[in-house]
Amino acid sequence: MNQRRPFGSPGAGGPGGPGGRPEGGGSMKDLGRSMRYLGRYRVTTTLAYASLFISIAAQLVVPQLVQNVLDAVTDSVFVRQILALPESEQAAALEQLPVSVDQLTERAASAEGPIYWAMVFIVVFSLARGLFAFAQAFLAQKVSQDLAFDFRNDLFEKIQRLSFSYHDRNRTGQLMIRATDDVEKLRMFIGQGMLLAVQSIVLLIGSLAVLAFTNLSLTLIILPVLPVALILFMVFGSVAQSLFGEIQRRLSTLNEILQENLAGIRVVKAFVREREEQDRFDNAAQQLMDQHIRVSKIFSFLFPFIFLISNLGQAAVVYFGGRQILFDTLTLGEWQKFSLYLIYVFFPVGQLGFIVAQMSQASASAKRIFEILDAENEVTDKPGAQPMSQVHGRVRFSDVTFRYFNSTDPVLQDVSFEAQPGETVALLGGTGSGKTTIINLIPRFYDVSEGHVLLDDWDVRDVTLDSMRRQIGIVLQETNLFTGTIRDNIAFGRPNATDAEVEAAATAAAAHDFIVSFPDGYQTAVGERGTTLSGGQKQRVAIARALLTDPRILILDDSTSSVDVATEVLIQNALDRLMVGRTSFVIAQRISTVVNADKILVLDRGRIVDRGTHEELMRTSAIYTDIYHSQLVEDAAVEEKAPLVAKA
Amino acid sequence: MFGDRMLRQETLKPKSVGATLSRFSRYFRPFWLALTLAAVLMAVNAYTQVIGPVLIGQAVDCFLAPAAFGEEGAGLQLPANTDLQAETDSQANCWYAPEVAMGDPGRNDLLRGLLNITLVITAYYVLGSVTGGLMFFSMSWTGHNVLRRLRVRLFNHLHRLSLGFYTRNETGDLMSRITNDSDTIQQVVSFALVQVLSSVLLILWIVWQMVVMNWVYALISLSVVPLMGLATLWFSNQARKAFRVTRQSIGDVNAELEEGISGVREVQAFSREETNIEQFRQSNAVNRDANIKAVAYTSALAPTLEALGFLGIAIVVGVGGVLLLRGQTLAGSAISLGLIVTFLGFAQRFNMPISQISVMWTNIQSAIAGVERIFELIDEVPEVQEKINAQPMPPIEGNVSLENVEAEYVPGEPVLKGINLSAQPGETVAIVGPTGAGKTTIINLLPRFWDVTGGSVRIDGVDVRDVQLHSLREQIGIVLQDTYLFSSSVMDNIRFSRSDASDEEVIAAAKLAQAHDFIERLPEGYETVLGERGAGLSQGQRQLLAIARAALADPRILILDEATSSVDTRTEQRIQAALNDLLRGRTSFVIAHRLSTIRSADQVLVLKDGEIIERGTHEGLLARQGFYYELYMNQFRRQEDLPVQPNGSGPPAAVGVPASPAT
Repeated sequence: MNQRRPFGSPGAGGPGGPGGRPEGGGSMKDLGRSMRYLGRYRVTTTLAYASLFISIAAQLVVPQLVQNVLDAVTDSVFVRQILALPESEQAAALEQLPVSVDQLTERAASAEGPIYWAMVFIVVFSLARGLFAFAQAFLAQKVSQDLAFDFRNDLFEKIQRLSFSYHDRNRTGQLMIRATDDVEKLRMFIGQGMLLAVQSIVLLIGSLAVLAFTNLSLTLIILPVLPVALILFMVFGSVAQSLFGEIQRRLSTLNEILQENLAGIRVVKAFVREREEQDRFDNAAQQLMDQHIRVSKIFSFLFPFIFLISNLGQAAVVYFGGRQILFDTLTLGEWQKFSLYLIYVFFPVGQLGFIVAQMSQASASAKRIFEILDAENEVTDKPGAQPMSQVHGRVRFSDVTFRYFNSTDPVLQDVSFEAQPGETVALLGGTGSGKTTIINLIPRFYDVSEGHVLLDDWDVRDVTLDSMRRQIGIVLQETNLFTGTIRDNIAFGRPNATDAEVEAAATAAAAHDFIVSFPDGYQTAVGERGTTLSGGQKQRVAIARALLTDPRILILDDSTSSVDVATEVLIQNALDRLMVGRTSFVIAQRISTVVNADKILVLDRGRIVDRGTHEELMRTSAIYTDIYHSQLVEDAAVEEKAPLVAKA
Repeated sequence: MFGDRMLRQETLKPKSVGATLSRFSRYFRPFWLALTLAAVLMAVNAYTQVIGPVLIGQAVDCFLAPAAFGEEGAGLQLPANTDLQAETDSQANCWYAPEVAMGDPGRNDLLRGLLNITLVITAYYVLGSVTGGLMFFSMSWTGHNVLRRLRVRLFNHLHRLSLGFYTRNETGDLMSRITNDSDTIQQVVSFALVQVLSSVLLILWIVWQMVVMNWVYALISLSVVPLMGLATLWFSNQARKAFRVTRQSIGDVNAELEEGISGVREVQAFSREETNIEQFRQSNAVNRDANIKAVAYTSALAPTLEALGFLGIAIVVGVGGVLLLRGQTLAGSAISLGLIVTFLGFAQRFNMPISQISVMWTNIQSAIAGVERIFELIDEVPEVQEKINAQPMPPIEGNVSLENVEAEYVPGEPVLKGINLSAQPGETVAIVGPTGAGKTTIINLLPRFWDVTGGSVRIDGVDVRDVQLHSLREQIGIVLQDTYLFSSSVMDNIRFSRSDASDEEVIAAAKLAQAHDFIERLPEGYETVLGERGAGLSQGQRQLLAIARAALADPRILILDEATSSVDTRTEQRIQAALNDLLRGRTSFVIAHRLSTIRSADQVLVLKDGEIIERGTHEGLLARQGFYYELYMNQFRRQEDLPVQPNGSGPPAAVGVPASPAT
């Protein structure tokens, strides 16, 4: 009921998320746009493509050289057969051939030369091929890593600057996925997929051209197989997508059961639920297996089938090519070359099929990435925004109305109040009354829908965000600490603060003692999200963090959660010290806060329903007295004298 | 592309491969039929792959070579029985067209023979595809079945392990170990294993076939193969090392990303955007550079293998061609054109399996290590075990006694020392004391989550170690401090304690627990699905659900670990009222944090350093002014000020004497 959300998130309002991530819906436009990122790496990209062409050319030469060897062999065998014939028959044969005996003898003797040369060339070309294939692969990978680097930087930068309303609508996990998975998919495609696509197409066309030149009729026999293979691959690529998605879903169901049973093992044992949970797990494991087997079935059919198609192509070459040899329209060398090139034809066809699947994925990823990069930042410095000079600390709301994004119901309506420098303003009200919204509007985490928020006499929208927010300190109940040392965390808002300043802030926040009790003192590493510190310790670090920036205006939440009484006292005292001399806005939980406040604003459904000091409101306001009795708590106190013991 | 991903994985070297494998093989036993089938299919498949190039070679020698040698002669017919015929002869027995074998074939005979042999080749291709598919399927079917058995076995075993195990091992660690290991095993059993086995078989067979056909020529042709193996090993080792760095750096990138996003509000509040962006850029750059270094190795592997493959082809045609020209014999037989073509075909088939084996071999190693670790978990002996002749626990009256109980989690470090207590049916026992005093240990002993090392825990005079766990725990209900909720509906979460309860019973329990009202207000009432770990509910609401759960089980003995976390006053009142209802008529043990609970308890045990140092009622203990008095002054006194009645009247200052808890 009184459970507060982390500050900033709207009380209600569905976060639909930036599109429900429907798979596949990307357009080529986004993909094209992401390719413009390649422009930054023009040289590397060009080199990668140049290497690609050279390596393909080298690759295409090798079968030709093999043919040369084989032809040289068959030719010289033939020649030597003629030379070995008895004189009479030899003469007859020579008559049919327009060559002399000398020429033939010459040919027989020099036959080994071309073979050696061909071997040398094969080695040379395969070295060239290897070298440039490496250059192509490496450069493409390098560009793709550079691209991922750029995309991630841009995304992070944008995310860091996007206003709260954007973050209210989007979950951390979703944004994470975009900056990791989606970037990776896009990288794979732009860096490699595209290059492979070009490679496949060039290799396909090149090989087909060579084949057609070598022997057109044989090529025509093979040609009809290609589209069939391509379609099969593409079908598979798209089918695999959803099949694997289903595997992932079932796997995560299984893992969830495991996770729940590990974490909740005491409950499981306590309620003797082992049998049911085991059945549940067994069932999920079965489901997962079924899906895996389903995929295997398709794999087991499709891959051999595709392999078969390419093999049938080879078989066709054996017969039809052989037939041509018999009819002397094809040499044995050409025939061998043909079957080598045929491999080069089928290989790119397979690759293309997969790239097409990859492309639709990549364009969906590109779309999701640009959704973030294009997101409109509602809160930004307006052109010509002035840096705000040191403020005295007067805060004024005049007729402020606020609606969350896309919502028609105002969360705040016609709110006006003024706080003088140094005053403490306590905010009271139930969940959804608008307390959090008020404190979010002061540092301009959101822009008002109507009215003005003024610091001294500056409208917060007229000054630079940076200069304004530096003068405001914030301490909230849910403390987020960052990976780094304790010192880093205290100096979060002022990284260049001296050690003495950091220690002074920590001392004032009652944090110094526990910090120095750690072996590494201020250099103690704080784990992810502050895991090595207790709740009370984190809160005190947060107080020190706010103190160090020495803000004129302070926003805080005076509740303490799950800490022991002694710590609670320390924290409350630190908070009280923090407020001295600053204009403070407190989401009040403690009786002492409201009693000491200069002004209490009682909020209900977005309006200020009562205001005044504690004494005034106790006399006049029924809502206030009700809240006072039902929601506020007494300060924790560790007193030696105990008046209540007597009554016990 | 695929190899890249494989190389990215961590290789973990298994310790005792033999023992692990022989034990793992037992999981395969029920699937022996499928395995045998796969083995047969694998052999047939390899045979079809080996026979392909041989047949093509025969086609050359039997039908094409004669014509090829005569091609320039344009129809020139060489006399059939020249002595040179021997030179072009091969081992080919041209039985596909008997007339050819007998010599002097006409072109039509040759064509018919060619057609026959092509049909035979095609038949082998088809056979190869069919057997390949079936082999793949039967292997991966077996693999998935084995993995499922392993998973279920492990899961069931995890349930048997006692709490001691779970205090020693973090859930997160266990979870990531189990999921990672089963992922690796999964990949291997469903894919890599069949791939490697058939690749090895194919390579051996090809080598054998080549050696049989001409062993000297075979050795010459295979001379590049060791180089291929070495290159693959070296490059993939280097890549693996480099990828280890990338894994670390991508971890850093993701951590910063995560922090930057989840802490974005703090970042903006403290104007830290620039610093964070710069920091992110740096770790992002480290990751990029590590990746570029790693891909240098992976990018080099394929081209190197390919170049070596071409070199192999050059050797096959070059050496073969020269030898054929010179009419030299190798290993006693002549080199024929067909033999060259056959060897050419073999040389081309070598590349793929070699790189596959090397890449997947490390995966197999990791998988064996994974299996080993899973076996370690399965071998973990549950500390709490049912006696063989354990009897079912008779219906519990509620008499609980601990006699001289000693307990320790780590040998030599007692957590409880000589605890004596006894509770009558229906009594409430409050346990108080500082953190680490042993409060939780006491309540863990009752449902026998943990065993005593000395003394005994008796319920209705029966030692809990003598009865069946199941029958004992069924009669004990527990409400834990941190309510564990499952990601299923509210209804199912309450029903967790008694799976056969009807909807009405669940709702009745929720009403008793004062949870009915808020549940009704949830979007889909009792059918609302709770998020991970009950996200979406407040702390207080979760406690109410836990109480409903315990109420549904209607246990004879109730164990309650009161929550310390602060909830607002109204929820607090609800929880109090619900607990009072729940405790009534049951023997209850409460780790108490609320004054009202302690006040209404029949006995209060004050625990310190594993010993009961004070016992009595709240008033009695206060009067004694001992340790409890101190504790009370520090921890509980403040709660006196809370109005305990719903809608407490008047400011606390005016209440003075706290209202007694609603009973």
